[in-house]
Amino acid sequence: MQRVVVTGIGLVTALGANVKESWETMLAGKDGIAEITSFDTSMYKVHKACEVRKLNSNGHLITKKPFTVYDCLLAAAGEAMEDSGLNIYKLLNRERVGVSVGTLAGELSLFEQRLRNHHENKADGFDIDVAMNYPPMTLSTQLAEAFQLEGPNIILINACSSGNHAICWAFDAIREGKVDAMVVGGSDVVPQTEFTHFHNLKALAPEKCQPFDKNRQGLVVGAGAGVLILESLEMASKREAKTYAEIKGYGLSSDGYHMTAPHPSGEGAARAMELSLLSARLSYKDVDYISAHGTGTPLNDKMETLALQTVFQERAQHLPCSSVKSMIGHTMGAASAIESIVCCLVIKEGVIPPTINFETKDPECNIDCVPNQAREYKANYTLNNSFAFGGNNASIIFGRTQ
Amino acid sequence: MANLKKVERQASTKKKVVITGIGIISPLGIGHKAFWTNLVEGRSGVSPITSIDVSSYPCKLAAEVRDFNAGDYLGDKGLKYLTKGTKFLASAIKLALEDAQLQNNGNFPEYAGVIIGSALGNYSQTTDYTYNIFKLGPDKLLPMASYDVALNSSINFASVFFKLKGPSRTISSGFTSSIDAIGNAFNLIRNNSDNLLITGGVEQISLDSYLLFLLQGLLSGSHNSGPEKSSPFDKHRNGFVLGEGSYVLILEELDSALRRGAKIYAEVMGYGTTYVGSNRFDLEEKTRRVQRAMELALEDGALSSDSLDLIYANGNSSKLLDMIEARAIKNCLGNTLGNVLIASAKPLAGECYGASGAMQVASCALSMENSLVPPIANLQVPDPECNLNLVTKKSLQRDVHFAMVNSIDPAGSCSCLILGKGQP
Repeated sequence: MQRVVVTGIGLVTALGANVKESWETMLAGKDGIAEITSFDTSMYKVHKACEVRKLNSNGHLITKKPFTVYDCLLAAAGEAMEDSGLNIYKLLNRERVGVSVGTLAGELSLFEQRLRNHHENKADGFDIDVAMNYPPMTLSTQLAEAFQLEGPNIILINACSSGNHAICWAFDAIREGKVDAMVVGGSDVVPQTEFTHFHNLKALAPEKCQPFDKNRQGLVVGAGAGVLILESLEMASKREAKTYAEIKGYGLSSDGYHMTAPHPSGEGAARAMELSLLSARLSYKDVDYISAHGTGTPLNDKMETLALQTVFQERAQHLPCSSVKSMIGHTMGAASAIESIVCCLVIKEGVIPPTINFETKDPECNIDCVPNQAREYKANYTLNNSFAFGGNNASIIFGRTQ
Repeated sequence: MANLKKVERQASTKKKVVITGIGIISPLGIGHKAFWTNLVEGRSGVSPITSIDVSSYPCKLAAEVRDFNAGDYLGDKGLKYLTKGTKFLASAIKLALEDAQLQNNGNFPEYAGVIIGSALGNYSQTTDYTYNIFKLGPDKLLPMASYDVALNSSINFASVFFKLKGPSRTISSGFTSSIDAIGNAFNLIRNNSDNLLITGGVEQISLDSYLLFLLQGLLSGSHNSGPEKSSPFDKHRNGFVLGEGSYVLILEELDSALRRGAKIYAEVMGYGTTYVGSNRFDLEEKTRRVQRAMELALEDGALSSDSLDLIYANGNSSKLLDMIEARAIKNCLGNTLGNVLIASAKPLAGECYGASGAMQVASCALSMENSLVPPIANLQVPDPECNLNLVTKKSLQRDVHFAMVNSIDPAGSCSCLILGKGQP
């Protein structure tokens, strides 16, 4: 069994075009919410989201919008690759490096742009150049072409836990010794279609995202991408790469309960966390920080608290557990990849980003959500939760590289 | 040699994974018995397309699922908001669970999971929803209109409907999606604590999927390229004929299957995958990458190529891919090329892209079970460039001990799975 470490990270969020900018803004407790510019929201009751405003492309900062899912993914992957030094490693065997990424909607927004002007008849709106971007596979194949990677090329579609699923797939492949390294992550923009789904399900908050607050009103949709370079500790050591963290284990579960609502007791979520502890061979007493799924919807945050109480028992009340979704929005397929990067940075940098917009304590969410202020804190083990619609749960544990 | 020994030792410490149930909703019939009978008797599921209006387009034929009523399998309640694909998948799962004798008898493990491959998911229903945002306005769309229009909502529905508490995962890596899903389920059982996973693939014919393949020139008969016919490895092949359906397998750990006295169709032994890529690469480079996927699968199963009796080829009648695959098979098999039979269910059941791998794995398991290999239908003039030991004309009686199933995406990956006959 190989050990698996994170050797590079890349971020595109509403807060910034790279890791440094996104992370520093998170620590400052600022959000990236603004009026939606990629489509007209006059027909909706909600008008705000956390869209990406700029990203790096071939070394240039571009602000031309709208960005595609692949634009965001490539920018984050480019940063992560450069950060890891993998692309300049002379002994790299490209047959043994692959891609596994997740998305919720893929390039649906390209189709929307086309349809906005051609919606008299659906078939007339069909454009092959647009349609060829629809299969989500195009995201992973374009990355493989961009970095000349010949290994496995996998796309995982697991709604809001896609990013974590992509990381888990890659973790297994490296651990088994099938590959040396994987480019993993998730990416999504804010398609009007997904916005409409959430809007009509009354899941959106109009002004701000307030995870674990008594008066929380829902989620704020966000765009972004998070990419991690995972590789075997063996290869990382051989090439003397710096590491952010080691992946210790993961747990997957389903609620098997409802298409949109989580199981009210949080039993599926608790099981994902328990399985991740089991697979990492750790006790609930070892975990120092949790990146919450924390969407800010009334149901999720209550359910997640119950699940945390099940797993962490007497520790649940005092264990730091924050949600960066309060600042970057719910970036859907990218969310858990971005939050995995947060888990790595908490270990590496010794500071926890806050849950902002926290005003009123909710007795049903009796946890320490690190309200409003970043906190200096030494963490050896961090846990990343993602609990997607459909009761699709994935938790991953990161540890300080020993 | 030392290297091979090492592989063998590693493989021997892992759990064995077997197929104990098969559920099929296909153009060749509902249930694996109907599918298999029609396949070995050479009855085609291809006929004029009726589910969509193709009057203004050149390709008129496809293998569509017919005479299917989801209510027969799922009950009549709660089906109103489900897509065709979701009904296919849930019904195929129901049939597979019944086939594995896992329904209503206390055998159903508490933490079963589901891993399904689908390249396009609920493609046309998603675009319909989007279309209606612009056509009707967002306020006219009821919350229930969102119920089943995500890429992964079919799998979510199955997870909820069958109350599955284990992992739930959708893999969408193009045409290789369902081999990747089965390979993933196999790995999770082999290496982790999961002991039963429902796996396979699902796809549905829609105007969007039809146009996507038609306008890329992938369909037989597009661009006035001759008669519409799927004829893999034939000199006059000119593209594939579209198919649809859902093919589902129950995978479980051998020991637990034996303990409950389950019927065992086959053992899943190995999985390999490589990125083959776009047309930027020449024929040789693509061939090398396809060959490597086959070799990786063999290595993963600790099997050498001379043990193989049968390959269910990707063979989908594509001009270029069939040739690449034939060359890769030749390179991989070397001197034993003549001993290995080559089959494909696609001429009769259609190319159901993301679900094709699962279709071929199901066929392969049934070949092992019945010691029978169905013919590659429509093969009249074998292409000398694809000189393989092709099964033609009629089914061939043959004990199949070890077999490989290939799946290749026109612009993506090649994924291969190794099956063994398993325990007698």
